[in-house]
Amino acid sequence: MTSEDLSYEQLKKEIKRLKRKRSSQVNLVWKRFTKNRLALIGFIMVSIVIFMAIFSPIVSPYDPYKTNPLERFKPPSMKHILGTDALGRDVFSRLVYGSRIALEIGALIVLFEGMIGISLGLISGYFGGVVDKVIMWLVDVLRSFPIVVLALAIAGILGQGVINVVIALGTVGWTSYARMVRSKVLTIKELDYIEAARSIGESNLSIILRYVFPNVLPTVIVMVYLMMPTALIASATLSFLGLGVQPPTADWGSIIAEGRMYLLKAPWISTSAGFFIMFTVLGFNFIGDGLRDALDPTSRRN
Amino acid sequence: MRSIRHLEETEGVNSVGTLLEIRDLKVSFDTEEGKVEALDGVNLKVKEGEFHALIGETGCGKTVTGLTILGLLDNNAKIENGQVIYKGIDLLKLTEKQLQQQIRGKEITMIFQDPSTSLDPIFTIEEQMLEALENELELTKEEKLKIITEELRKVKLPDVEELLKKYPHQLSGGMKQRVMIAMMLSCRPSLLIADEPTTALDVSTQAQFLKILEDLKRETKITAIYITHNLAVVSEICDTVSVMYAGRIVETASLKEIFLNPQHPYTYKLLHSVLGIETDIEQLQEIPGSVPKLINPPSGCRFHPRCEEAKDICKTKIPKLQEISDGHFVACHKRVMEWTKC
Amino acid sequence: MRTHGNYIFRRTLRALFTALGVSLVAFLILHLAPGDPVKIMLGPYATEENVKALKARYNLDKPLYIQYFTWIKNIFTGEFGTSIRYNRPVSELIKERMGPTLILTGSGLLVAVILGILFGTLAALKKNSILDYITTFQTMFWLSVPSFWLAIVFLYIFGLKLRWIPIAGMTSFSSTILPIMTIGLRQQAWFARPMRAEMLEVLSQNYIKALKAKGLKYEKIIWKHAFKNALIPIITMVALQLPWIIGGAVVIEVVFSWGGMGSLLVGSVLSRDYQVVQTILLFISLAVVAANLLADILYTLIDPRIRIER
Repeated sequence: MTSEDLSYEQLKKEIKRLKRKRSSQVNLVWKRFTKNRLALIGFIMVSIVIFMAIFSPIVSPYDPYKTNPLERFKPPSMKHILGTDALGRDVFSRLVYGSRIALEIGALIVLFEGMIGISLGLISGYFGGVVDKVIMWLVDVLRSFPIVVLALAIAGILGQGVINVVIALGTVGWTSYARMVRSKVLTIKELDYIEAARSIGESNLSIILRYVFPNVLPTVIVMVYLMMPTALIASATLSFLGLGVQPPTADWGSIIAEGRMYLLKAPWISTSAGFFIMFTVLGFNFIGDGLRDALDPTSRRN
Repeated sequence: MRSIRHLEETEGVNSVGTLLEIRDLKVSFDTEEGKVEALDGVNLKVKEGEFHALIGETGCGKTVTGLTILGLLDNNAKIENGQVIYKGIDLLKLTEKQLQQQIRGKEITMIFQDPSTSLDPIFTIEEQMLEALENELELTKEEKLKIITEELRKVKLPDVEELLKKYPHQLSGGMKQRVMIAMMLSCRPSLLIADEPTTALDVSTQAQFLKILEDLKRETKITAIYITHNLAVVSEICDTVSVMYAGRIVETASLKEIFLNPQHPYTYKLLHSVLGIETDIEQLQEIPGSVPKLINPPSGCRFHPRCEEAKDICKTKIPKLQEISDGHFVACHKRVMEWTKC
Repeated sequence: MRTHGNYIFRRTLRALFTALGVSLVAFLILHLAPGDPVKIMLGPYATEENVKALKARYNLDKPLYIQYFTWIKNIFTGEFGTSIRYNRPVSELIKERMGPTLILTGSGLLVAVILGILFGTLAALKKNSILDYITTFQTMFWLSVPSFWLAIVFLYIFGLKLRWIPIAGMTSFSSTILPIMTIGLRQQAWFARPMRAEMLEVLSQNYIKALKAKGLKYEKIIWKHAFKNALIPIITMVALQLPWIIGGAVVIEVVFSWGGMGSLLVGSVLSRDYQVVQTILLFISLAVVAANLLADILYTLIDPRIRIER
């Protein structure tokens, strides 16, 4: 099919055929994903955390902000599953409420990174040339900094607050998205129907939005699940170092920081906060790996 | 678990002049899609000094047969049944260590289809050729160098001293394949298994390579199993031909008999639909149907779905290789019946 | 004409461009601050004269590009500015702190690479065995926890409870073990998986079968041939992971009160000691750029396929 031969009608037919092929592919991917036990476990784990975040008031047995001078530094017991902290607050409740912050921050970061990364990746891959070189140069430059280090500097300069952490991590972490999207776009760019669409005068923007982006979408979805862990750990690190949330709001990173001061006396504070992080991150990792295997079984296995 | 046996005669004594005998070999593979029955009762006899061709379409199991002889199958392969008798020893009963120390390289060796991936890319030719002589502990390095230089000269490679210092990617496909032969034969094995050695080469290089093989055959009297799907090559250097289909040998005969008097319907179709001997089996589209998938193979004779002469018995009973005339074996109910009637 | 030297030249050029970009980022960071950076540096009690004086001193009243070039020029003469917090030249601080950081990062990297390669290789050799699954799982585990938490847990177990190791500072050899092992254990996960994949890839190659057919011993095939082939691409990986290793080291320095550049960086960010922050950012990123360049060049020297042009 050369572009001269294709009429608009034929172009539409080709797209319909590809859409049907894609929906059967989606079925195949879904089947492979659900067969993967680890991925399902991950799904359950993340669902638990989301549930915890949404229904924090119900899940947590105590008010996380309620201090109780009489109950300071109590080790884990039936009354306080994970003990109490320096101000007598129930650790478990604090951690449950912390899941809200963690997921919110994580989602915002991924969203922010994603928007920048995907747009730049699309532009870079589709247009090529100088634009591509410049964007890739930017990617190289940013990747020469450790994410936490650069984000630390940016967030520190912007000032306290969650928003600044999100901005800092977002402006530093988009490079992975951009590279993935760009390489996917490069493989799609030369396909026949894109040539055809171009020849009948469709605008570049329209082509990108209607044809290129949907093809890139599966990759992006997998990326989200693989980038969440980084976002969660990075934001926890920044909170630990003192940036991000302000007391009395606490996210898991700042709770670990608090607990560090009383490590010998009350090790359960820092330890359990870390396990919450690990649980959430593992969940996302399992899902991300499962998705990646489902979409391209040859990528990891041998 | 293989039991440990010393290299001595076992109960499978070879008949006179037979170097290698494969009896009723059954090999299956465990794959994601299911169990693939790659070899289902392969029977093969290779006489000393002969070049025995093993021909068939892709997927019929010829490479698997070759790999099984040397124990080079992947981990997901399972040898369900059978014997591979070499000089009186069942190779299938040897341990990996015994195979490595006593058989591979010294007695039996193998060259592969794609020369560009058969040599380790990060070592020089000299290093790799010296490796082949590693177990010859009595030789000094100089002596070994002399031997490998001589071997390389034998396969008509130019500028041997220069060549030795080069890396595989600096050589052409034809040269690499000749290095492979020289390397594998430097230990003087008795049996060479050649798995489609010329398939990856262009036509003129093929011709050169075959000439070298011919010379080798004449000078060293080496025995070879030549796996291929190229009939032209077969006609040039092979003495005996075995035709393989879907994991079984369906016909074995001398070169002359196979080409002039093919008995099995598959062989017949194969040869007679070839417009000239230069045609590759792979290009044949004229036999209706296709090679069966070996996950769920047809019952009885595996060729029966494509055979015009198929009878009811062909669907249920597996035909055994039977001798219908001197040295000519065929595995076909109808043919055997016809021949025993006369 | 693609030759070896040509490649090195182009690659170095690319590295220089990246270095340029990196210096721009380090420079511009300072100017991200909302409001007047000098006012922030001096705190809420600064007077107008103080502000003006400081601005003149740091050239902050001049246009941006002049400031940038002055900064770059100063760097080449070893002038990195002054630390407001310590009231000492930044170059002195860096000199003091560079050693400990190099020890920590270098040893941590070494441990990580060795462990990672070992685990990856063993997992590939015993594919689908218990060892393989454990290896795969442990790579996921280590990367699912923040380094600082790992450091705290190790600190607690080995420092406080078992008292095997001193818990703070760089007092003696034993005080280096915990931080180095924390980095090493966590970051080996970055290398184990790719090493396993590479090994499996190499083992499925035809030449492995040919080596077997030659009659070569199993151990020789694995360690002389397969292992070496698999190792080659891992070299570039090491350079790629460097930012992550440094990132982990920074936080670990804080937890273990290690007197290196990492803890200096964190302290400076929190106390708005911007010149220090700028300088450290520059150093770290330039190190990464250099390491990547080195790794790429090394790769071309080691792999004969690239080294020798026909």
